[in-house]
Amino acid sequence: MKHLNSTARASSAVLAGALLLGSLTACGGGSGQTTAKADTGSLTLAVDHDAASFGFDPLRVVGAQRQFFEGLYESLMSLQPDGSAGPGLAKEFSYNADNTVLTLTLKDDVTFTDGSKLDAELVKANLDRRSDPALSAYSAVAKGGAQEIASVDVVGPTQVALTFAKPQPGFENNLTSTTGMIVGKNGVTDSASLSATPDGSGPYTLDPSTVKGNKYVMVKNEKSPEAAKYAFNKVIFSVVLDPQARANALVSGQADVAMLTSNTVDFAKSKGVGVSQIGGTVNTMVSFDKIGKTSPAFAEEKVRQAFQYAINRQALVDALHKGDIPAWNALPKDSPGFTKDLDTKFAYNPDKAKSLLAEAGYPNGLEFTIVAGAQTQTDLQAVQKDLAAVGITMNVKMASSTDEAFAAVATTPLGYAALDWSNPVGFMYGAVLNGFTNVQKATDEQLSAATGELAAAKDEAAIKAAATKLNTRLVESGWMIPLYEALTNQGYNTKKVAPVQFAGTNAYPLLSSYKPAS
Amino acid sequence: MPLFITKRLLMALATVLVVSVLAFLLVHAMPGSPGAVSLGAGASQEAIDEVNQRLGWNDPHVVQFFSWLGNAVRGDLGISLIDGRSVSADLASRLPVTASLAAGATLVSAVLGIALGVTAAVRGGMVDRIIGGVCGMAVALPAFWIGIIFVYLLAVQTSVFPATGYVPFEVSPQDWAMSLALPVITLAVGGGAFLARQTRASMLEALQQEHIRTLRATATPTWKILYVHALRYASLPIVAGIALQFIQLFGGSVIAEQLFAMPGLGQAVQNSVSTHDAPSVQGVVVIATVVVVAVNLVLELATKFLDPKLRAS
Repeated sequence: MKHLNSTARASSAVLAGALLLGSLTACGGGSGQTTAKADTGSLTLAVDHDAASFGFDPLRVVGAQRQFFEGLYESLMSLQPDGSAGPGLAKEFSYNADNTVLTLTLKDDVTFTDGSKLDAELVKANLDRRSDPALSAYSAVAKGGAQEIASVDVVGPTQVALTFAKPQPGFENNLTSTTGMIVGKNGVTDSASLSATPDGSGPYTLDPSTVKGNKYVMVKNEKSPEAAKYAFNKVIFSVVLDPQARANALVSGQADVAMLTSNTVDFAKSKGVGVSQIGGTVNTMVSFDKIGKTSPAFAEEKVRQAFQYAINRQALVDALHKGDIPAWNALPKDSPGFTKDLDTKFAYNPDKAKSLLAEAGYPNGLEFTIVAGAQTQTDLQAVQKDLAAVGITMNVKMASSTDEAFAAVATTPLGYAALDWSNPVGFMYGAVLNGFTNVQKATDEQLSAATGELAAAKDEAAIKAAATKLNTRLVESGWMIPLYEALTNQGYNTKKVAPVQFAGTNAYPLLSSYKPAS
Repeated sequence: MPLFITKRLLMALATVLVVSVLAFLLVHAMPGSPGAVSLGAGASQEAIDEVNQRLGWNDPHVVQFFSWLGNAVRGDLGISLIDGRSVSADLASRLPVTASLAAGATLVSAVLGIALGVTAAVRGGMVDRIIGGVCGMAVALPAFWIGIIFVYLLAVQTSVFPATGYVPFEVSPQDWAMSLALPVITLAVGGGAFLARQTRASMLEALQQEHIRTLRATATPTWKILYVHALRYASLPIVAGIALQFIQLFGGSVIAEQLFAMPGLGQAVQNSVSTHDAPSVQGVVVIATVVVVAVNLVLELATKFLDPKLRAS
């Protein structure tokens, strides 16, 4: 279609071309500038969540946020590179004979951001906040918690005693995480101030260039004697929720370290970045109802066992979680309780599942509803097909609210969660036997016995024996229906950062463990 | 004209007020109370009741709304239930990010769209068909996918642009432009293609008008015919399209903000909805409404200015 003469066409084309060029120049910045080279004085970590979404009170968060808060706060005990507990704000500790009292001897040269000093009164003031339900880090030590602290007493200016409701050997391990972090006097007195301003004694302080929810910038705390143990002068936690965007940030040099999902590991490796991996988180279907209150069939162990045989874990991993590990064990593969026997005993066998259902009195199968969240919906839909093949109709209902998702533990027979087994005894007492996964108050003598045995085990062989017993019973009883073990992947720029090391089986490396590449 | 502006301003205020009421009611319809949200699942009922009492949650809805409105007029949108920070301050820090994105994408899409649309209409033939085909594809492609491709090519493979992040203008204008480049292009591709089609159609109609033929007959310079007379005649639907693009991009920035990890309003909406942070949700809804209403108001005034018939009325 031609409406103007050739001069007009030429004129319009020239102008259009100029506009087009102008627009591209405008949006491109008009230069071939590349991203700035990494500053050796700073370390940028691309993380998958906003660690400070609740502000800067370390007691409002749990273990997964330890790495972030480690920069701003010190713990009573410090996590060591081998995963054990070492001295922290407490330079020494001792138990009484029956392990009901833990006495801590504190350092005397610690200063907080607000200028206050560490002493026994401050530690007591911190721990006495344990009845505050908002302080998630204290939930296990609050009244009724699995590791309840009955009282905190000042023994001397630098000595404080923790008295437990029941014996707690090894409690010092809990003090390496956010539970052991100590907030300065101002922060304890006015906890609302912690929403915007941290009050810690950690190796770094928060820089004003921080953008909440997006980029947290920490600079060396000159007042901290511990700061020398940290290699980088500045640490930036960059919140990048999209997994591919995190991988892109790492590959393009905007991040020095990035948390990678398993399905972006190959891409990252292909671009020459290093990847360190560790397991530990088992994605598991959890039987909420073991007494048949919400679905009578779930009272039958054989029904719960049928689920173990009905689900094709390998297919699930191949389809949705490439790079992760199919799991038949409730405990992760690096746990002393891991056993290959479960992998073969409960291998995918739909016929066996059908026969177990028939033996339990459900030859025509059963029907129930499970509540899913945005993260779990796809997995559940995959499992739904396997279950349907053996006659189990699992209706997947999307949770319309967080409240509904929480309430599902009481209203539905089965749930799905990513479980961290870094502290099996604490988790068994706190969540499985007495906690949120067992609101129907089911009991299992073998599980209770195995947990007690593990708690009391002193040497490696005893721990292995008890943990294996616990793991096996969790699966045989169908209280846990493991699906796959997710690997935690830390990608790192090999030119800037030395290979990332994990602290024992902890999924989040110590902030102090990041070192420049030699 | 002053009467027209006054009427439109009153309409705009009424719209914002109605949306504020709806946002308030929606927030109250959400399951759970502020106390339950801020204290978490393990909180005792006594603690929850105490927080609710402190926040005035048990007051009559009318009292709560007017209390909120009074504060909002003074620029105070309340405090976040999750971290206790000022909602106004948080949104004020995020607004420039989303506004930069939306304005940048609108500008680029307008320049591209008008240039391509005019070229297609004027050149016709193969050029028209090529531009039509490319625009058809560009409109159909999801912004998320376009973004991934751009990031891969221009950030991952060649490191020309940063793959993620946002640098405030006051920190470094150059880095600000660089950090916006890919998200802006990502959002502008679809919008530019849409505007190109709209411009082409409007220009074709304009070029067939009597007064254009008359101008050609009087040997008026071609550029003047095209870009002063014809484009002005065709501009009403184009301007409306640009305004709609801005509104759409402002709301749709969540895609780019997620893909490029930018701390804008889209990210705030995502966070506050997922955490049931009612004051933050309410704040974002009201701010977004104010922006949309303001853009519509500007559009109406621009339309009035551009159309002689409307201006005369």
